[in-house]
Amino acid sequence: MEFDLNTIEALAPDQASLSAASKLTRQSNWPRLEKNEELALVWGECQGSGSNPYRVVVDTGDHGYKCTCPSRKFPCKHTLALMWIAATAPASFTAAGSAPEWVNDWLGRRRKTTSPPAVPTPGAAGKSIGEASLDDESATVEDAAAIERREAAQRKRVEDTRSSVAAALDELDQWISDQLRLGLAGFVDNSSDRCRRIAARLVDMKATALAGRIDEIPSRLMGLRSEERPDAAIRELGKLVLLAKAWRQTPDDAELRRLVSTSESREQVLANPDAIQVESLWEVLGEKIETRRDGLVSHSTWLLDLKSAAPRFALLLDYFPASAGRRSNAFTPGDRFVARLVFYPARQPLRALVAERRGDVSSGQWPDFSFGAADPLAAHVAHQDTAPWLTDCPVLLPPGAILLDDRGDAWWQSTDDPHGIALPIADAVNPTLLGLDLAATAALWSGSRLHLLAAQSGFGRLDLS
Amino acid sequence: MNEIEQTGLATMRDCWITGGTSFELAPATWKEFAAGASPDERERRLLAIAAQALEIALRPAAPKTLKRRPPLPELALPMLPERLRPLLRAALKHAADARGKSRVVALVASRGFVLHPMDWMPAASDQTSPDVYAPWIDWQAGVDGEKHTSREQLTAENWDEFYPAARRSALADMRRTAPAVARQLIETKGSSEPAEIRLALIALMHFGLGAGDVPFLKSLSADRSGKVRELAGRMLARLGEHGQPGDGGLEDPTTELAAFITEGKSGFIRRRTTYAPAKLKSPAQERRRAELFETCNLVDLAARFGVTETDFIGAWQFGADNNVDILVSRMVAASGSDTAVTHMADTLAAEGGKPAPFVLHLMPRLDSRRQRDLIRLILKDTHYLGALSLAEGVEAGWLDWADLTNGKTLPALCAAVAGNDEAAKRGADQLLETLGFFATAAAAEKLIGDVVAAGMAPAAPSLGLLRLNASLAGP
Repeated sequence: MEFDLNTIEALAPDQASLSAASKLTRQSNWPRLEKNEELALVWGECQGSGSNPYRVVVDTGDHGYKCTCPSRKFPCKHTLALMWIAATAPASFTAAGSAPEWVNDWLGRRRKTTSPPAVPTPGAAGKSIGEASLDDESATVEDAAAIERREAAQRKRVEDTRSSVAAALDELDQWISDQLRLGLAGFVDNSSDRCRRIAARLVDMKATALAGRIDEIPSRLMGLRSEERPDAAIRELGKLVLLAKAWRQTPDDAELRRLVSTSESREQVLANPDAIQVESLWEVLGEKIETRRDGLVSHSTWLLDLKSAAPRFALLLDYFPASAGRRSNAFTPGDRFVARLVFYPARQPLRALVAERRGDVSSGQWPDFSFGAADPLAAHVAHQDTAPWLTDCPVLLPPGAILLDDRGDAWWQSTDDPHGIALPIADAVNPTLLGLDLAATAALWSGSRLHLLAAQSGFGRLDLS
Repeated sequence: MNEIEQTGLATMRDCWITGGTSFELAPATWKEFAAGASPDERERRLLAIAAQALEIALRPAAPKTLKRRPPLPELALPMLPERLRPLLRAALKHAADARGKSRVVALVASRGFVLHPMDWMPAASDQTSPDVYAPWIDWQAGVDGEKHTSREQLTAENWDEFYPAARRSALADMRRTAPAVARQLIETKGSSEPAEIRLALIALMHFGLGAGDVPFLKSLSADRSGKVRELAGRMLARLGEHGQPGDGGLEDPTTELAAFITEGKSGFIRRRTTYAPAKLKSPAQERRRAELFETCNLVDLAARFGVTETDFIGAWQFGADNNVDILVSRMVAASGSDTAVTHMADTLAAEGGKPAPFVLHLMPRLDSRRQRDLIRLILKDTHYLGALSLAEGVEAGWLDWADLTNGKTLPALCAAVAGNDEAAKRGADQLLETLGFFATAAAAEKLIGDVVAAGMAPAAPSLGLLRLNASLAGP
């Protein structure tokens, strides 16, 4: 290890970064800390404020670094924290025989500089490690009156938001009625403009999450064949009606508030005694990183619980601004780890946070889940029974295969029921997949298309995301 | 959902598509939920019910004609272990072109493994992959019939039971052990195949080509396909048979080519004949000469000068014009007899130095010993290391550490890695990739250690194939 605190001080872009980094030096923030002295590298995975961990790697030789967080500060607080741990507690790092693939990817892309490392950046003056360490202890004590004022203000904000969202939903109802009166053919053709306009209104009226969902309707419709779009429009708009009605009945319901206005913070979820906690062995099925129309990038990681009798899924979901640049993957599909997940309270708990990650496990076959139900979409039906406003539902499909229709579009069909149900697949599939028997397939069902995530076959695990 | 509800839903749907109120069209049970509300609210309630009906009760209508591909066959070798797949994917990703990728595939096959089909699949037209992939090539070709690849001996009777790639593989094996039997099969069954397949079948006669093949090859001079006639002519030339005798006039391609070559004398005491490229006046003439080298046969050209193939090669002034030297090498590789090919390889290898890299064009025709000797020579000399990547048809995984340290290659490589010359670094990257294919696992591991010690990033992509090679050392 070639770090000392002076180097870290010199590299830090400002005092705030150092202060933030000091809070991340607790080992509990780092489910993975590894080093390879031969390669002169330290790397780790930091459980930051997002659901997906940030991957950080630092070259101890020339102080080159890479972090997958969207911060515009270089180095970011995660990088500084990793260096800090390397300098002060090098024993925290486990020696690894070889670097993981994501570290190798970074090494392969970078060119080593020949310039001397750790040149202090302009404005480096005035930064102090010691001051950063003291930050925690210097918290001021608020008086009782101030607390009361703050809480009152907060209650008023909540009440104002609720009134505003209620008005937004009234406006949404009227908008939906207008679409029905004007005709869904016109809505499908002009969905982009019409959805954008109502979404902008909803943002103004604090129904932010709902606005984001409506903004995505046009792209969901355009992903279908033209003859399917009217039915899809009925489904999308009908679900909005149901969601609005549900919210009006219980505006304090955490799941509904999350879907309509804003989500609770990570800390609130972790502190919520009603939040379901599941400690198990999880496999990363796949990731989806998509740029949304509202300028946010959604980063979804789908996990499968390998210890539950029936298939149980979890979704780690983060949003960050598209302007922050392309985000690297947080996991590698097929990764397995033991972790305690805390689920956001919901009728069908799915979105989760990693509260504690214990260690990685080598990959292998999926357990033999029992596929008792005749309907491969039984899980989807169950989701819809309790939460009919949901769109995408993860499913684990029984033994089947991928087939092509006359247009060359791919379908999944069950092996045991070749003349029964077949589910259309959203994207073009790798032609090799057409020759493989799939023992089990994990996918997302959107109501009209299947988005494949992963499968088990005679050729082992297949990454399909 | 019952039939009344389905009918009601369909009419409501049509109404909403064009625009309007659907309350009167709704099934009675649905109306109950909507009655008593304002007209707009009624429509929204019905919309919510319709949405759920579409979501739950209806499924996408599966087309009646869903086509199932036959299962992808299992291959005769085991799959590359899961833990090595990231290394393999990195090596494949770094391989710049199909030739680079096929080297990765060949290296893995030489160590007794096949690739995962989601990592790499041979193309339907692939004819260079290791034989073990023949079932996948046939699968890719998409023959949808019921026939299956047989492991029996290929005969005229079961010819149609073999898929094309499996048939090619069986015929190539047969040409090595019983060339006459294989030739008879090609003769009997090939004539009914289309020109493209006929060409591929006749190309298999490269294996075990001998005098017994002459009558059949001569009979192909009347083949419908020009490419087949040309290939047969090349093979006959390899066997020392002259092509169609020209009239000796300027129209005759061999005579035209001979006119582009200058015959001279050298030596004071023992005068000997030399051949060198004539100085041409225009690029058009140079292009024409290149075309003629591509189409003429060595045996005919040598005969035009009244000498044997080996005499012609011995008298050719290598080094006078690099481009023409390459053309001569390619002509010898395509149409020279085995004797001429080995003579040229041995002569140029013995001379060493500048001309030696031209022999790389002869690689596919050389035996494994000569191939290895030549590569060792180039490595020892270091002048033409870049040319090594051109070597075709060479086996994987035989180059020892001693071969690398016996000369200037390793110091030159390390100097390029440590230096700041970007061009030299790129050359080093290319050489490391090539050596990743030639080296034994032990040599690959040591080479990685040395170049990393010289300053190369330990996980540099150009070390990908070497890393894969080293990790395939054994159980």
